[in-house]
Amino acid sequence: MKEHDDELDCSGLNCPMPVLKTKLKIDKMDAGKILRVITTDPGACNDLPAWAGKVGHEILSNCEEGDKYVFYVKRGA
Amino acid sequence: MTIFTAHELYSAIEEKEDFLLLDVRNEEDHKRFSIEGPNEVMMMNIPYFDFIEEPEEMVAQVPDDKPVRVVCAKVGSSEFVANLLEGLGRENVSHLDGGIISWGNLLVSKRVNSESDDYEVWQFNRPGKASCSYGLVFGKEMFLFDPSRNVDYYLQFAESRGAIITHALETHLQADYISGSPKIVEMTGAVLVAHDGDYSEALHQYHSVTDGEEINFSTENGPVVSCVHSPGHTPGSMTYLIGEKYMISGDTIFIVSIGRPDLGKMAVEWAQMLYDTLHKRISVMPDDLIVLPGHYTDWEAEADSEYRIMNDFATVKAMNEEIYSIANIDDFVTYIQGNMRNQPEIYGQIRLVNFGKLTPCENEQNIMDLGKNECAASKHGGIENA
Repeated sequence: MKEHDDELDCSGLNCPMPVLKTKLKIDKMDAGKILRVITTDPGACNDLPAWAGKVGHEILSNCEEGDKYVFYVKRGA
Repeated sequence: MTIFTAHELYSAIEEKEDFLLLDVRNEEDHKRFSIEGPNEVMMMNIPYFDFIEEPEEMVAQVPDDKPVRVVCAKVGSSEFVANLLEGLGRENVSHLDGGIISWGNLLVSKRVNSESDDYEVWQFNRPGKASCSYGLVFGKEMFLFDPSRNVDYYLQFAESRGAIITHALETHLQADYISGSPKIVEMTGAVLVAHDGDYSEALHQYHSVTDGEEINFSTENGPVVSCVHSPGHTPGSMTYLIGEKYMISGDTIFIVSIGRPDLGKMAVEWAQMLYDTLHKRISVMPDDLIVLPGHYTDWEAEADSEYRIMNDFATVKAMNEEIYSIANIDDFVTYIQGNMRNQPEIYGQIRLVNFGKLTPCENEQNIMDLGKNECAASKHGGIENA
């Protein structure tokens, strides 16, 4: 597991919830901090990076862990 | 919250209703596959996460002078955006039940032959794939040609005609969609009919059809299905003639263009086969046969006034004169090579599924099976891809 500052488990939630919850959480974090997001929704795998790219957050890595997808999102400025 | 089904969406497009289709999937998914119907649709793509970031600004971008129909991958995000639009005072907002997958699997049935005939020919159009399967009903039996995965639809359809499906006939091994035949065979006991040229590797049991064979209904005086081996698009391609009136042409010929022979990575050999098929087997058929193709690419050019994809063979030949008039085999191969383009990577996987060698879960099959076909030989007959 990589270093991160906070974690959000969206297991079992479908779109739009993973992106929505990630936004609400990361908005409260400081720039440069890293949020670990866990999702089981395959749809979120395209949407999270697309959303993050638009709003200026950085996806440091994404990987599959069993039936879960794990993203490390770094809060933009 | 108002919802609409994929079929209702199709009808709205066919009837030229004035509405805006708002696709809230991400831009990449929207570009890869979006809703196309028999008439032009006013479409906007604003990802749902843009609505999350800037709800008011995004809602302001959506025109407010017509009803809005919202579409997403499944259903959650379209409902979310539809609620947001309503919350900000918009009226006439609805969203698609079942998401884009339900559009991808939608079948629309149209009667092909006259109501007064004692048998029925039906076209099952799949707008999401731009492909067609067919049904032939006589008495209490139904023959099904090139069924897609929406097996429940065919079973209910047969029931509504008071018939059972006795034969599932494949014009060829499909590369662009998952065939519903094996499942229909499993559920109904129908006979799978296919040619060894394509199916010898398949793990399914099938009746090996031969050139010149006739398939009959069990009761007398039914329409005869004459089987013509027409290799080229694939080595085992078949054309099925119904009662000398209809030509179920699979991917051998389309209303516009012909089936590309380069999907098997033996473009020259298969193009040569296709040339022989076109000149010795297809061109010699009667001009008044009605061509019922496996695919289409352009509703305007290929559908009739009742939105059926069909035309008589004389017209089809005239529309594709640049192909049919090629008078020697080398020029034909050159023409094919000049129009070659890559095929979607997923086609290799779909072939394995259709051979019975790969069995992905339902969800994966839905994703594999989504997207428009790439089966026409001429460039205008398909979307360019890199």
